[in-house]
Amino acid sequence: MSTPSRKRLMRDFKRLQQDPPAGISGAPQDNNIMLWNAVIFGPDDTPWDGGTFKLTLQFTEDYPNKPPTVRFVSRMFHPNIYADGSICLDILQNQWSPIYDVAAILTSIQSLLCDPNPNSPANSEAARMFSENKREYNRRVREIVEQSWTAD
Amino acid sequence: MQNKDGPLADGESEAATSNPTPDFDDWAKFGDDDIMQQQTAIRAEEAEKTPFVGDKEPLSSLAAEYQSGSPILLEKIKVLGEKYAAIRRTRGDGNCFFRSFMFSYLEHILESQDRAEVDRAKSNVEQCRKTLQSLGYADFTFEDFFALFLEQLESVLQGNGTSISQEELLLRSRDQSISDYVVMFFRFVTSGEIRKRSEFFEPFIMGLTNATVEQLVFSLEVAALAAVFLKCFHFVNMFCKSSVEPMGEESDHVHITALSDALGVPIRVVYLDRSSCDSAGVSVNHHDFIPAVGGLPNASGSTETVSPFITLLYRPGHYDILYSK
Repeated sequence: MSTPSRKRLMRDFKRLQQDPPAGISGAPQDNNIMLWNAVIFGPDDTPWDGGTFKLTLQFTEDYPNKPPTVRFVSRMFHPNIYADGSICLDILQNQWSPIYDVAAILTSIQSLLCDPNPNSPANSEAARMFSENKREYNRRVREIVEQSWTAD
Repeated sequence: MQNKDGPLADGESEAATSNPTPDFDDWAKFGDDDIMQQQTAIRAEEAEKTPFVGDKEPLSSLAAEYQSGSPILLEKIKVLGEKYAAIRRTRGDGNCFFRSFMFSYLEHILESQDRAEVDRAKSNVEQCRKTLQSLGYADFTFEDFFALFLEQLESVLQGNGTSISQEELLLRSRDQSISDYVVMFFRFVTSGEIRKRSEFFEPFIMGLTNATVEQLVFSLEVAALAAVFLKCFHFVNMFCKSSVEPMGEESDHVHITALSDALGVPIRVVYLDRSSCDSAGVSVNHHDFIPAVGGLPNASGSTETVSPFITLLYRPGHYDILYSK
């Protein structure tokens, strides 16, 4: 079945394969173009360096007019990521635009890692630590990075 | 289909009633998902009140709305009645300017069968495509929206296999899968035009952006380090990203100027508000957005030779379509 959203997702996939931005990868699950697995690598020279964080992206037939639901599967410690892995990011909510493809979504999430917005906290402990105790915050991030290697 | 829809609809209403009301004492649990769900619910409620594009109504229906309201507005509506016969309402979902423009423009082509205008518009659309490409937009992110608009433009011209009637145009304008795509097409075109002429638009955008103070402070810090050109570029990009490209973001004179220039279509906006600075009696202001030929910036109001065939009624926060007598 070829709907506008499925056709668009095929092109998103093609672009991601041909011209992958540094530090991200993603692909639809077998037989289901509407559900994607993705990996974001922690940016170099940051506390996130070396982490491999897994996510899922669930699309609907409204894509690209509506954003996908994106969740981290890996455990995270970040001011804008909820305990269930869902992400507080404007372009995934009210600032969504069809201009963003999967590559752009993943790139935005990757830059959110090092550039959190502590004023809209999803994890208040992480937000407080980020503003008040950067040392401890960085230590917790390193822990998460190490966990990302062992978790399945 | 009927059999399939029946139980599904029942199931949905059951789910809706059994859904526990959110506990507002516990805001900590009221996350982004809840906010988005609430927004969706509000939008759905609005959708039941007005379709994307309403039926043509006599101007008297506008007066009826203000029966017990401001006398200035009632006076102004009377003045409007001298020139205009009817109004067509659009849904107040933040896309009303683009939606009004869409219907009004396609209806004009349908009625005038102005092939020259369609050819002219098409060449402007091709120019817009090149603009987006040169700004670095990937083709596949906008090509579906362009294709769908061009298809609508073709279909309102009679004499080809796919031509449509007035009723069909109204149905399509109310069909989300078509209507929203066309709105998004206009948003792409508008954004491309603003970014392309960022130096022209930047002074109008300063202070208009709905970016948060924090974002502004951040961008000021960036601006302090960067050249003036970069600052201007940054503000314009932020404006397009936050106020033009997302669906549901309201339009202002910046959007109207950019769309009118990009497509080369003049637009008249008639203002219905409480202002009354005219001592000699109530009058209704209008502003004409006139795209200048030859790629010059919008010469709003200065050239009276081109008269707009699209007239929109602006009430603070909302646009509808007006019909001349």
